[in-house]
Amino acid sequence: MTMRRIVVVGNGIAGLTACDSLRSAGFDGELTIVGAERHHPYSRPALSKALLHSVDGTSVNGKGDDALQAHVLPAPTHEAEELLGVSATGLDVEARRVLLDGGGGLPYDGLVIASGSRAKRLADGQGAAGPHQDDSPREFTLRTIEDAILLRERLASRPSVIVIGGGPLGMEVASGCLHVGCEVTLVSDAKPLSRQLGGHLASLFTAAAVRRGLRVVGGGKARLAGHGAGARVVLADGTELEADLVVTAVGDEPNIGWLAGSNLLTEGSLRVDSRGRLRPEIVAAGDVAFFPTRRGVQRVPLWTSAIDQAKVAAAGLLQGDAAPEFNFQPYFWTEGFGLSLKSVGFTPVEGAPDYCEPGREDGSVLLRWDNPDGYGTAAAVNYRIPIPKLRRLADAGPAALRPVSPARV
Amino acid sequence: MRIELDRPRCEGHGLCEEAAPQLMHLDDDGELVIDVPEVDGPDLDAARSAVRVCPVAALRLAAA
Repeated sequence: MTMRRIVVVGNGIAGLTACDSLRSAGFDGELTIVGAERHHPYSRPALSKALLHSVDGTSVNGKGDDALQAHVLPAPTHEAEELLGVSATGLDVEARRVLLDGGGGLPYDGLVIASGSRAKRLADGQGAAGPHQDDSPREFTLRTIEDAILLRERLASRPSVIVIGGGPLGMEVASGCLHVGCEVTLVSDAKPLSRQLGGHLASLFTAAAVRRGLRVVGGGKARLAGHGAGARVVLADGTELEADLVVTAVGDEPNIGWLAGSNLLTEGSLRVDSRGRLRPEIVAAGDVAFFPTRRGVQRVPLWTSAIDQAKVAAAGLLQGDAAPEFNFQPYFWTEGFGLSLKSVGFTPVEGAPDYCEPGREDGSVLLRWDNPDGYGTAAAVNYRIPIPKLRRLADAGPAALRPVSPARV
Repeated sequence: MRIELDRPRCEGHGLCEEAAPQLMHLDDDGELVIDVPEVDGPDLDAARSAVRVCPVAALRLAAA
């Protein structure tokens, strides 16, 4: 059927890219984007990196006021009607209508679901003993620009901080808090970053973190408890920790509440096909969606993947089976404790790297692993390298880094 | 349109090069070089993709 009206639910980088891609592909019909956040899309990765690592507007690498603007993206050019600060509350698949917060609805011929995810909160799992008790401490999370600004404000008085969660976000938050001069304890069951990156890279980061004064504590599942104006955290093994401030980084969960009753969910999750489709007229992309990948059906809540998924989904909506399929090419980066990591290929990687090339500066290194599935993973630590080149290293091995010898040209 | 680079913001991810290799590249030191600053026609889509993929918004498209 002809698509005259397309609605995009979600105004993060996936929703934005979907709108851009629809326009690039020639869609000139009515385009409406619904965003729960009141802002134009911004760069979420920057929130826990440049923005959190700046003191009085000056960042680690001396970028001055730029650190406070690091998340700002160029203004959208897709000329969609933007409904900002408005949430979708329901979906009538048969009537092809998105229901909106405050009543009313939007009819569509095509729908892009890019409603993203939100921070999980520890307090949500604590039931009546948790969030509603007056003496329970305030639990900070970092997901939105408002979260980031609030956390920065609180850090200005250099409180002691407990960060719960040893994934990339928890580690970036811990690094930011240390950087501005706080005393920081990180609570993590496993070695920080090991589940995401594997033991070798995790050790590099953990060692750098401990050298900079981070205290890392295991001890099982954490529970929040009140403690006057501050916060107390009790671990499963009985360990008790106290600090002025608790930040949790215990994962994210997809925003799919508004899709309950839509029959689009498979075992509670939004699983799309290789072209981002749930139905011919409904596609999904970004943190909300489960895509098929070489390592199974999974959510890939990463910046570049959200962009790739949105392009695939936009094409899938307009072209159906003629559209290209999603080919997940992982790119991930994190920074903290004086280290910057860029990696291409699937992680975590097992064991020691198969290839290791030190860079010109101290601590700068280029690494590659041969994975059991025959594909490679390449990582650059404090090593400035173009991503296409890093990708060639991952795909083809170290030979890809050498210039072609003149004799062979 | 003209591709403009805000060099202090650039972190050298090089995702832009991947999106538009015919328009820009990172040199051996990891510094971004805009090879074709003035774009129109078919290059414009690639330029837009490059601008969009930058996670620190170091690239912009401005009226030439």
